[in-house]
Amino acid sequence: MTSFLQYTIFGIILGAGFAIAATGLVVTYTTAGVFNFAHGAVGMIAAFSYWELVANHHVPAVLALVIILLVGAPIAGALVERVLMRRLHGATAERPIMVTLGLLVILTGVATIVWSPKSQYQLNPIVSGSFRLVSINLQYQQVLTIGIAIALVIGLRFLFSSTRTGVGLRAVVDDPALLAMSGASPDAMSQYGWILGFVMAALAGVMLALTQEQTGISIVAMTLLVVNGYAAAIVGRLKNIPVTFIAAIVIGLLEDYIIYYLLPHLSQGLNSDITLALPMAFLFIALVMLPSVRLRAVGRLSTVRVPRMPSGKESVLGGAAFFVLAVIASVVLSSVVVRGTNLLNLGGEIMAFGIVGLSLVLLTGYSGQVSLCQFSFMGIGAFLMGKVAGGGSLFGLVAAALVCAVLGALVALPTLRLRALYFALATFAFADAVDQGFFQDSRVFGGGINVGRIILPGLSFGGNRSEFLLLSVFFVLVALLVLTIRRSLFGRRLVAMSDSPAAYATLGLNLAVTKVAVFAIAAALAGIAGGLYATVNGTVGSADFDFFSGIIFVLFVTVWSIRTVSGAFLAAVTYVMLTTFWSTGLGLVAGAGIILIGRAASGILGIDRLSTLLPLPWVKRAPVAGDSGTLAGIGTAPMEGETRVAG
Amino acid sequence: MSPVDEPGLASEPSGGALPALTVSQVSVRFGGVSALTNVSLVVPPGTVTGLIGPNGAGKTTLFNVISGLQEPDRGAVHFFDTDVTMMKPYRRARLGLARTFQLLELFGTLTAGENVQVGLESTVKWWQWSHLRKALWRNSGSESAPGDPTAAVALVGSDALAVATPDRLLAEVGLEGMANEQANAMPTGLARTVELARGLAIGPKLLLLDEPGSGLDEAESQALGTLLVRLASTGMAVLLVEHDMELVMGICDRIHVLDFGHVIATGSPEAIRSDPAVQTAYLGTGSPPGGTR
Repeated sequence: MTSFLQYTIFGIILGAGFAIAATGLVVTYTTAGVFNFAHGAVGMIAAFSYWELVANHHVPAVLALVIILLVGAPIAGALVERVLMRRLHGATAERPIMVTLGLLVILTGVATIVWSPKSQYQLNPIVSGSFRLVSINLQYQQVLTIGIAIALVIGLRFLFSSTRTGVGLRAVVDDPALLAMSGASPDAMSQYGWILGFVMAALAGVMLALTQEQTGISIVAMTLLVVNGYAAAIVGRLKNIPVTFIAAIVIGLLEDYIIYYLLPHLSQGLNSDITLALPMAFLFIALVMLPSVRLRAVGRLSTVRVPRMPSGKESVLGGAAFFVLAVIASVVLSSVVVRGTNLLNLGGEIMAFGIVGLSLVLLTGYSGQVSLCQFSFMGIGAFLMGKVAGGGSLFGLVAAALVCAVLGALVALPTLRLRALYFALATFAFADAVDQGFFQDSRVFGGGINVGRIILPGLSFGGNRSEFLLLSVFFVLVALLVLTIRRSLFGRRLVAMSDSPAAYATLGLNLAVTKVAVFAIAAALAGIAGGLYATVNGTVGSADFDFFSGIIFVLFVTVWSIRTVSGAFLAAVTYVMLTTFWSTGLGLVAGAGIILIGRAASGILGIDRLSTLLPLPWVKRAPVAGDSGTLAGIGTAPMEGETRVAG
Repeated sequence: MSPVDEPGLASEPSGGALPALTVSQVSVRFGGVSALTNVSLVVPPGTVTGLIGPNGAGKTTLFNVISGLQEPDRGAVHFFDTDVTMMKPYRRARLGLARTFQLLELFGTLTAGENVQVGLESTVKWWQWSHLRKALWRNSGSESAPGDPTAAVALVGSDALAVATPDRLLAEVGLEGMANEQANAMPTGLARTVELARGLAIGPKLLLLDEPGSGLDEAESQALGTLLVRLASTGMAVLLVEHDMELVMGICDRIHVLDFGHVIATGSPEAIRSDPAVQTAYLGTGSPPGGTR
C-alpha cells in the first residue's frame, strides 16, 4: 500500500512537470496559432542555462530562475516572433511546422556546441530540504513543482477567460484584422503570446530538469523530456488548459505505474525499449483518440508558384543526362579520398538519401502531408536488407519496400483523418518511438549489422564504382517514377487533395484512400533507400537513422525545394557532405536554412528575389485578406507560398 | 392561397416528379447561435431554384449540410429517394451532387484544365492496370486529348457535353483557351467559372452554386444565366445562391428566401419580388429585391 501511495505521489509530481510543459504548448497554440516543435528545445536551453548560472557561475538558484524567466525567455520569445513567425502569418500549415522544427535543430545544435552532448549535468534544486508524508520522503522541490503547475492552470484560466489581454491574445489567432479594429495591436498581442509561450517552456524545462536529480540531464534527453507534455496538450486539443492539466497528471501516473508495476515483469531489453518509447506511445494514442477533423471550406488559395513539370520525354532525357554525369563522376572520383573518405562511397550515400528525398517530394511536396518519419522507414529497410536472404539480396529490397509500405499504411490509417499538424505530430511520435524502442535496442542493430553489396546474376557490384553507378540507376528510376506519378491522374489528385481537401471530397474523391496510398508508396521508397544505403558502407547502425537526423533531412529537402527532383538530390548532397565533413554544423545549417527560406515555400530553387529569402524585420507581413482582381495578385507583391483568403 | 407558399414546408413541385433534392426540417446550431431552424425545401430536376437571403442568413451553411460538409443537428436530406443525411461528401458527389464554394476552393497550384480534369477523372481508379499503362507511356498527363476515353464522361442529358474534355468543358463555360492558366493566378470571376466547370465535370444531377456571379461583369453574368438555363433544360437540377437579383429573378423557376436561418418565403420570382416579408428582410424597407436600388 505504501509503495502504491509512493508511486502515486511520484506520478503526480511527474505529471505536474508534464503539465507545466503542456500548458506552455497550449498557450503558444492559443495565442499564436502555432504548435511550437521547439518547445522542448527552449526548455532544454533554459535548463542548461540554469545549470550554467548556478553550477558554473554560482548565481543563487532563485536569481538564476528569475534571470531565465524574466529576461532570457521573454527576449528570445519576442525575437522569435518578430524575426521568424510574423512573416509566416497566413502561411500554409506546414510552414510554421518546418520553421519551429528548424528552431528545434538550431537550439539543439547550439547546445551541442556549448555543452557536451555526451555528459550528464546535475542541477541544484531551487529549494532544498525534504519532509515525510505518510512514511514517504518528499522534497520541497517536488512540492514546488506541483504548486507551480496548479498555480499556472488557475492563473492561465483566469488570464484567458477573464481579462481583456487574455481575450485579445486568443482573438489574434482567430481574426487579427477584427482585433485591430477594436483598437488592439495584433502584432503586439502575437508577441506577448510568444513571450508567454517561451517563459512557460523555460519554466517547464527547469522544473522537469530538477525532477531528474538521479540521472542528471543531457541535451537530447532533456529536449525529449518536454515532449512528454505533448500528449497532454493534444488531449486538451491544444486549447483547454484544465483538461490538459488533468491529462498530464493522468499520463504521469500511468507512466509511473507502468514503470514500477508492469516493466519489472518483462525481459530486460523489452523493459528498456518500452520505457524509452512510452512518451511517444502516449502521444500517438492521444492523437489516434482525437475526433475526426471536419472538412471545411476555408476559402484559401495557395499562391505557390509550381515548378514547370517536365514532359515524359524531357524526364527520360534528363535521367539519361544525369546517368552520363554519374558515369563521368565515377571515373573522376574513383580514387579521390578526402579526409579518409572515398568520394564514390559518398556518392552512393547521396543517391540513397536522394531517394528518401524523392519520397518526401511525393508525400509532402505533392500531397502536402508532412512526414517526419521517413528515416524510420529507411532504417527498417536497411535492417531488412541485412537480415533477408543473407544480406545484399534483391529480395531484401523487395522485403524492405513491402514491409515499409504496410507499416506506412498502418501509421497513416489511424491518423489520416487528422489535420496536417496532428498528422505531422503522429509521424514525429512514430519516428521517435521507432528510434528509441527499436533502433536503439541492442538486439536490432547492436554495434552495426553487416550488409553485403547487391548480387545480380552475372553482375558484380563489389567495386565502389559499380555500386555508385547501380545506386545512380536506382535514383534515376525512382525520380522517373515520381515524375510519372505527378503527371498521372494520381499525381493530379495528390496536388488537388493538398490544395483543397473540401473540394476534393465534393468531387467524389476519397481522401482516406489517397492519403494511405501515397503514404504507403513514400514509405516503400524510403525502405528501398534504406536497403540501398546499407549496401554502400557494408555496415549500418542505429546512429544512421536517428530521430533528429530524420528531421534535419526533411528540413534540407524543404530548404532546397520539396517539390522537385533537383531539390531532393541537392538536399541529399548537403546532408551527406555535412554529416561526413562537419557533423556539428548539421543542425545549425539545416535550421538556419529553413528559417531563411521561411517565406519561400518552393525553396531555394524557387526563389527569384533575394528579399523573399532574408528575414528582415522591416519586411512587412502579408495582408490577410483583400483582392485586387486576381487571387494571387494582391496590392503588395504576394509572398510566395502564402495563402490568401479568396473571394 | 397566396402566390407565395407557406414557408418551412417541403412542398413537391407540380407534376409529381421525384425532387432531385429534398431538405426536411434541417436545423444547425453553432454553440448558442442557431444557423438554420427547421429549414425545408425541394429542388426539382430540370429547374433552376434560387436560394436568397441577406448575409448571414444561413445559405452557405445549408449548402454545407446538403453537400455533407456540415452535419445537421436535426432534419434530413434526400437526394432523389436516397437519404444522404449522414453520408460522406464524396459519396454524395458520386451520386451526382456537385457544388461550388462561396469562398473559392480551387486547386490553386493546378492549371484550370487540370482542375476540370480532376473532376472528369473522378470515377477512374488509378490503381487499375488500364490506367497505369497509359500513365506510364503518355508523355504528358497535364492535358488530355479530345475524345480520350479516360477523361470522357457523359453529362446527364447534355448532348453538347456528351464527350467532355477539360478544353471542351472550359469552352462551355466561356473559358476557351484558358486550360493552361494556373488557377491561383486567375481573376476571381474567371476562377469561379473554373469551379463551375469542375463541378460540371463530374456529371452532376444536382448542382449547388454558391454565388457564381460574384466577380463577373454584366455580360459574363448574362452568359452564366444562359448556361444555367441550358443546363436545367437537360434535366439537371440547379440550386443557386446569388446576390445578383437580376440574375436570380431572370432565370429561377422558384425561389426560397432564408433569413436568420428560417425559410421566410418560397415561390415564383414574381411572388417573391412582391412579398413584404422578403422586402423587409432584405432591405428593411419596402423596396423589392431585384428592383431599382
